[in-house]
Amino acid sequence: MSAEENRLRLTILGGFLGAGKSTWLRHQLFVKTFDMPHVIVNEVASHAVDDTLLAGARRLDVLAGGCVCCDRKDEMIALLRRICNDRSRKQEGPQTRQLVFEMSGVADPGKVMAAIQDDQILTRHIVLEEIIVVVDALHGLEQLRSETLARAQIEAADRILIAKTDSCEKAVLANLAAALRHINPAPEFRASSFGVEEALADLPPAQAEELPELTGNDDQEPLTSLPLNLDDLSADGEIWVGLSTWLSAMLHAHGHRLVRVKGVVRTPSGRLLLQSVRKVMQAPERMPVADEGAERASDNTIVLIGRGLDPERIEASLRKTIGKTQS
Amino acid sequence: MCSACGFPPAAGHWTDAGGDTPQARLRIRFARAALLNELLKPLGLSARDLGSQPGIQLSNGMGQTKICQTVEDVWEQVELFKGAPFDPLASV
Repeated sequence: MSAEENRLRLTILGGFLGAGKSTWLRHQLFVKTFDMPHVIVNEVASHAVDDTLLAGARRLDVLAGGCVCCDRKDEMIALLRRICNDRSRKQEGPQTRQLVFEMSGVADPGKVMAAIQDDQILTRHIVLEEIIVVVDALHGLEQLRSETLARAQIEAADRILIAKTDSCEKAVLANLAAALRHINPAPEFRASSFGVEEALADLPPAQAEELPELTGNDDQEPLTSLPLNLDDLSADGEIWVGLSTWLSAMLHAHGHRLVRVKGVVRTPSGRLLLQSVRKVMQAPERMPVADEGAERASDNTIVLIGRGLDPERIEASLRKTIGKTQS
Repeated sequence: MCSACGFPPAAGHWTDAGGDTPQARLRIRFARAALLNELLKPLGLSARDLGSQPGIQLSNGMGQTKICQTVEDVWEQVELFKGAPFDPLASV
């Protein structure tokens, strides 16, 4: 076996916030697409949620609270070196053969790849297999129009998965595919529905729209994340009515700048996983009861990711709404 | 997720997911109508949920009542009644 064949194969999974990366990865772990995978999840929020969905991973590491292509780059390199070191020292038993790195929605996979290739140690241990980028069929075109990062993610892709195609008209999908091909014509294009990958359906002909010029220094506020601890906001723990009513009003009024909401909320009907992209909230998933009845520390914290978020006003508004249900 | 690898999604509108029995869902509906009333009182609007039929009845105190199927429909109808955007952050 050549040295290169013995290196860890790395699959980078990128895509904008809420594109459907974790849904795709969860299904791939379930159907065992990857060979003895070690999964790394990067979340921009300090409270990780995606790791709870990826129970199929043989090993899982989480890099939360920042983006690995910029402020958490050193930690990423240190983690990758540690994984490689552990693997080298292990003489017996099954060895990890595949690394799957799920980026945060605000990471540029190209920068991550460059950082790994610039590291003298990692290049001896890791070989990049593929960069897969997931694009949201509903919001992808709007993201390409306004987000430099969304374009950079597409440019870096070896394979593009268009997710949520089942909730999108063919004409919209055709426009998105044309725009994606215009940015990067090389990748293979596939569809992903609830994580299940399939061939992209035949689409009507579409002309790639001319996307506005973005310099990367546009007058756009940076994306920030705001964790809201729901246990701090409620005396008796009954928060669902207040939270869901408030959140629906927030998504209605501020969904254009509230890019993503996610979190696990404890309710009388169990633990519910909430995930929204822009104004669209997915049907909450009922999460299993945690081992021995002990809830995870990150339960009852929802994370808002968006632009121009005013933490004090947002928290005061949620507190006031929940308070009205308990008065 | 496919039907095998994910966790089961809650049925119905996402805001109803906090109750898993008919009784719990009904309690949520009544509690939500009471909360909406509190939130919309300053705007001169009122909300009512009869429980026996779907939807939230939204009235503007001028003889106009509209039935909203979901909470999201309520915010849209509030804006139509008031002719201005509704912002949950405006009152803090």
